[in-house]
Amino acid sequence: MILSVAEGRHAVELITSINHDQMLLYDLIQKNRELKFIDAQTGNTVPIQAFHQSLRIDNRQGLVFLYNDNLIGSVEVLLNFLNSRFTLVLLSAQLHPSFKQDLEELYTPYYIYDASRAAIDAYNTATVSATIKLFRREKPVEYLIHSNIKMLLSTSGTTGSPKFVKLSDEHLVQNALSILDYMPIKNDDVVPLNVPIVFVYGLSIFTTNCMAAGTIVCTDKDILQPAFWTDFTQYHCSTIGGVPYVYEMLHRIGFFKKEHPSLRYMTQTGGILNQALRNEIVKYSAAYNKQFFAQYGQTEAAGRMAYLPQEDLLTKAASIGKPIKNGRFEIDAETSELIYYGPNVFGGYANSTANLSTWHATDTLYTGDVAQQDEDGYYYITGRIKRIIKLFGTRLNLDEVELILKNALGGQTVVCTGINDKYLLVSHVNDQLQEDAVKQVLKEKLNIHPASVQVKYIPSMPLTPNGKIDYSTIMQTA
Amino acid sequence: MHSQQNLQEVIAKAFGITPNDITDELEYQSIPEWDSVSHLVLVTELESAYSITIEMEDVLTMGSVAKIKELLKKYNVETMA
Repeated sequence: MILSVAEGRHAVELITSINHDQMLLYDLIQKNRELKFIDAQTGNTVPIQAFHQSLRIDNRQGLVFLYNDNLIGSVEVLLNFLNSRFTLVLLSAQLHPSFKQDLEELYTPYYIYDASRAAIDAYNTATVSATIKLFRREKPVEYLIHSNIKMLLSTSGTTGSPKFVKLSDEHLVQNALSILDYMPIKNDDVVPLNVPIVFVYGLSIFTTNCMAAGTIVCTDKDILQPAFWTDFTQYHCSTIGGVPYVYEMLHRIGFFKKEHPSLRYMTQTGGILNQALRNEIVKYSAAYNKQFFAQYGQTEAAGRMAYLPQEDLLTKAASIGKPIKNGRFEIDAETSELIYYGPNVFGGYANSTANLSTWHATDTLYTGDVAQQDEDGYYYITGRIKRIIKLFGTRLNLDEVELILKNALGGQTVVCTGINDKYLLVSHVNDQLQEDAVKQVLKEKLNIHPASVQVKYIPSMPLTPNGKIDYSTIMQTA
Repeated sequence: MHSQQNLQEVIAKAFGITPNDITDELEYQSIPEWDSVSHLVLVTELESAYSITIEMEDVLTMGSVAKIKELLKKYNVETMA
């Protein structure tokens, strides 16, 4: 294969020259020998080789809790543990302290990385390099972990739910390879980590670009901070990603009014953009010759399941597109539920350490989304079967939110439903219950903004004939 | 000059915290209540409280309460201390 020396090579060319089927994610990343990481806090550049076995960690099985902040320390910890027998549990550094504590008591991880805490009960400090400090359990708790489980990802991200998705190294590799099949990543690309890698979308951005791009900018700044844009310009960033809410913010700060010469392509997931914004992005892309990729995915699929190519953005506007390479969809004849088949479907859920000894091999994922397919083969999400809403792009399991509210409010009956992914509606039957009390709990525990919560008193709770809460009646009267 | 609504109260409402917690030194992302979501709520609240339209670029400069006061001067809004 003859490659242009002047221009960056495309990922597909790079990857097809590798016999990747037997390769581990870590090896595929290390194979990208020119890969560098920039520490946005200091401006330092670190080559990928510098993170190879850079931490003195024990050689054994076990869980490591990584409270990620997208800074270079988190990345170094992530890479070192990818190249180990440990199972990585990715969690947000911003998780409420009481949730951190609950999860640590339940899962008794062997190691914890949390740059925000000075000490943790039942853990010793282990200085594993000049810059990185881990917490190591004083008296390790032994339990069986299935050798396939390389990573545990939270299904919620913010509710502190103990429910995790079990993923293998192969899942992560297969997902990354499917994305590299359509994403125009080049080996001189500069990629800001503006999507937290605790979300599977952010993780996909991380893995694919570590395999095929040139530079990763490690930053905890977001797009509403001037420092992010200083870095974006200074490092000549090639791409940016986000959920619909991030694109609304980009629009608000005038992003689409300027060319941003280094930007080549944008990625999006987490729901369908509104029509006005879509038009704006199409106009921007055409004016400045940029690309835009809308995608559809889930944690249970280790990342992506479908994408909508640039050229279809206007004509197939509200579509999630077509399945990624090696994936396919079916729509359940009876329920219209979208079913995904592919090599990236997870190996089951874990709710406690007892669930870590098992692995459920499957290629089938019931997505919980209701879908339709048009005559050209494009898929459209028309509803949701699972009790999940997305507020500002963050997935909220309504059953978990209900439980948190009930516990905090002394066992009251509260029912949570969503209104168009815009509001969380909390219905209750206690006329003494203060609206502010409900909002306070949601803000305190889940950082849900009071403006996106509606609290409603109803004289009696509608029930179905078999005595369960009748969610559809509640939603209809909302 | 526009009608004077207390800035502390406007900000407190946007973040869902009490006005007493609002100091000049308070910065974006320094408390969980001031994140990207509430930042844009704040922009909207300021716009309606003082009947102004905040320019796109200015949304990025509102990194602290002190900087917000600075910015409001540009829009001819006098804020009470």
